[in-house]
Amino acid sequence: MLSYLIFTLTLCAIYGLLALSLNLIWGSAGLVNLGLAGFFAVGAYASALATGAGAPVLIGWGAALVVGAAVGLVVTFATLRLRDDYLAIVTLGFAEVIRLVALNERWLTNGSDGISGIKAPLKAELGTQNFAWFYLGLATLVLVIVWALLRRLDASPYGRALKAIREDQQLAAFAGKPVLRFKLQAFALSAAIAALAGALYAHFQSYVSPDHFQPLITIYIFLAVTAGGVGRPSGAVLGAYLVVIFLEATRFITEWVPGLQPVQLAATREMLIGIALILVLHLKPQGILPERIPKAPVPPTTA
Amino acid sequence: MTAFTTDRRTLLAGAAALAGLSALPGRALAQGAPIKIGTLTPLTGAGGPYGPVMVKAVKAVVDEVNAAGGVLGRKVELISEDDQTSPEAGVRAARKLIDVDKVSAILGTWSSAVTTAVAPLCWESKTFLATVSGADSITQLPHQGYLIRTQPNTTLQGRKFGEFCIAEKAKRVFFLSPQTPFAKSQFDNITEAVKKAGGETGSLIYDDKKPAYRSEVDEVLRFKPDAIIFGGYTPDTAVMLKDAYRAGYTGLKVAFGYAVNQKLVESVPAEVVDKTFTIAPSPAEGSKAYARLVKMIGVASPDPYTTQVYDQINLILMAIAIAGDTSGTAIKDAVRKVSQAQGGAKVDNAIDGLKAIAAKQPVDYDGASGPCDFTETGDIADCQFRYEQVQGGKLALVKIA
Repeated sequence: MLSYLIFTLTLCAIYGLLALSLNLIWGSAGLVNLGLAGFFAVGAYASALATGAGAPVLIGWGAALVVGAAVGLVVTFATLRLRDDYLAIVTLGFAEVIRLVALNERWLTNGSDGISGIKAPLKAELGTQNFAWFYLGLATLVLVIVWALLRRLDASPYGRALKAIREDQQLAAFAGKPVLRFKLQAFALSAAIAALAGALYAHFQSYVSPDHFQPLITIYIFLAVTAGGVGRPSGAVLGAYLVVIFLEATRFITEWVPGLQPVQLAATREMLIGIALILVLHLKPQGILPERIPKAPVPPTTA
Repeated sequence: MTAFTTDRRTLLAGAAALAGLSALPGRALAQGAPIKIGTLTPLTGAGGPYGPVMVKAVKAVVDEVNAAGGVLGRKVELISEDDQTSPEAGVRAARKLIDVDKVSAILGTWSSAVTTAVAPLCWESKTFLATVSGADSITQLPHQGYLIRTQPNTTLQGRKFGEFCIAEKAKRVFFLSPQTPFAKSQFDNITEAVKKAGGETGSLIYDDKKPAYRSEVDEVLRFKPDAIIFGGYTPDTAVMLKDAYRAGYTGLKVAFGYAVNQKLVESVPAEVVDKTFTIAPSPAEGSKAYARLVKMIGVASPDPYTTQVYDQINLILMAIAIAGDTSGTAIKDAVRKVSQAQGGAKVDNAIDGLKAIAAKQPVDYDGASGPCDFTETGDIADCQFRYEQVQGGKLALVKIA
């Protein structure tokens, strides 16, 4: 039971990073990125390939960050003129492109067999059980650092400018904000965080394949950010923990439902997830931790 | 109305089972804790059509064994999880089975990616894994014996396709396939078999979502093949066959049994698909185990995966009995003693097997999917293949070999 809990919490931290990535680009800058799974995959493969070629794990994570940011820039340039639904569709397509490249470029990614035996840092030295603890600590530490940075960013003038762009792009430009630069930076940063999550996942599981990066992950993360609170890093992290714990808890809940076949239980689990989303949106449309919009300071009254 | 009645019956049966369960603990305690076995099959996602029947087969065997007194005097408890045909979800489900339920063995993983993702968890936690995935790479993992598979690997399948084309006097063989986990190894092994007989091969990987394949077919025909092997699934193979027919190709056509099935044959004009051969790993139809399975689950012709998972649960329960121990390590060490013991008593189900084991007889299990003999690395040693041909809008059996 204990190792199961450790495993689930580690996964929570990785999902939390993904939620922070989505919260930055969607919650702060207002760009709908349905390609999250694609950036997750880019990071996982980048780190798996780099460490497979002999680089230490930290270099692999660095590679994931750099490649993730670079791919993020490319996607932003390709979608400069798109907003809203159009951007969402293109990013969804992007994730699919990444999956197909991973599937077909066998020389690089080993195709649908995937890359197995990815280096797990210090696993040999620590043993399986200690490694699980170690990795939980490591993933949580990374999550806390990224969360603290993004929280700071959120409250800074930079974060306010991003939110101004989210609310009204033209007005922000009129107020002298370089909209394009802000968007590029935010997208690249968000992509880099998702890629880092991918790298953490790859070294945790020791195996990645194109099948890992189906759009379902993106949907879980949207669910997490929506439930936790769009536009607030703490909300995104809380949402991610809730989603993973809920996903796992449904296994045990459905065991108490009498008289259902395993296939019906599996379907019930998926229904519960849908119902949960509807309930959250109905009862708490702003999420559990809604965005805090600072009040405009009252100008000092002159006598 | 009938559908409703069945539902209600299932519900009643379930309720009764639950009521029975609540009466159980006292007795179960007297017998010691139950032996836990997990299934990890796809119940949703791309593998959704297969998983539910597989679970049903395992459940039927477990119920039968429990009714006959269980294994080592203990009840067998089955825990079924859904891998959602995704390695990410599969790993989460496997962790639950291993860490929370502490199962002795996991059986039925279907997608090769799921199996590859789950296998390391199994050997690290010394849990036994039996799979129906076909990708060659799986048994090459460092699994230390904790893994067996009942599906013939791609090497064996590819060789059979190549040898068949040669036997049909084709010298120039072309392999057409979408990108699948087995496309490359399939082609390599076809090539090996064809080259050995002095033939030539060519291959093309195509996108399986396209509505037409004219340019692909043109490329194939430039190779001037005597035989084309269609490596795709039903929808794309139907389009491919039509385009090949339009382009005037009249040579030998060979396809997988799961692609060119009765549904495909009925959905395209007869002349398009006529004379096409299909090759598929054959369940041991006509064997006693197969007949038992059909009767147990009430499905007229169970798919290969169901026959395989039926064999897996029988083997694992017998392995536990012969080892006198429920750990994954014990199953790993004992499984070959029940699947292929020299001169052992031939059995085709766990009940007979358990009796033979109780009488200290060696056991050699022959199951519903085939003889179930395993190599050192966990592959099955041999498997029969079923060759059929489309003749006048019907699939006719050519041979089983």
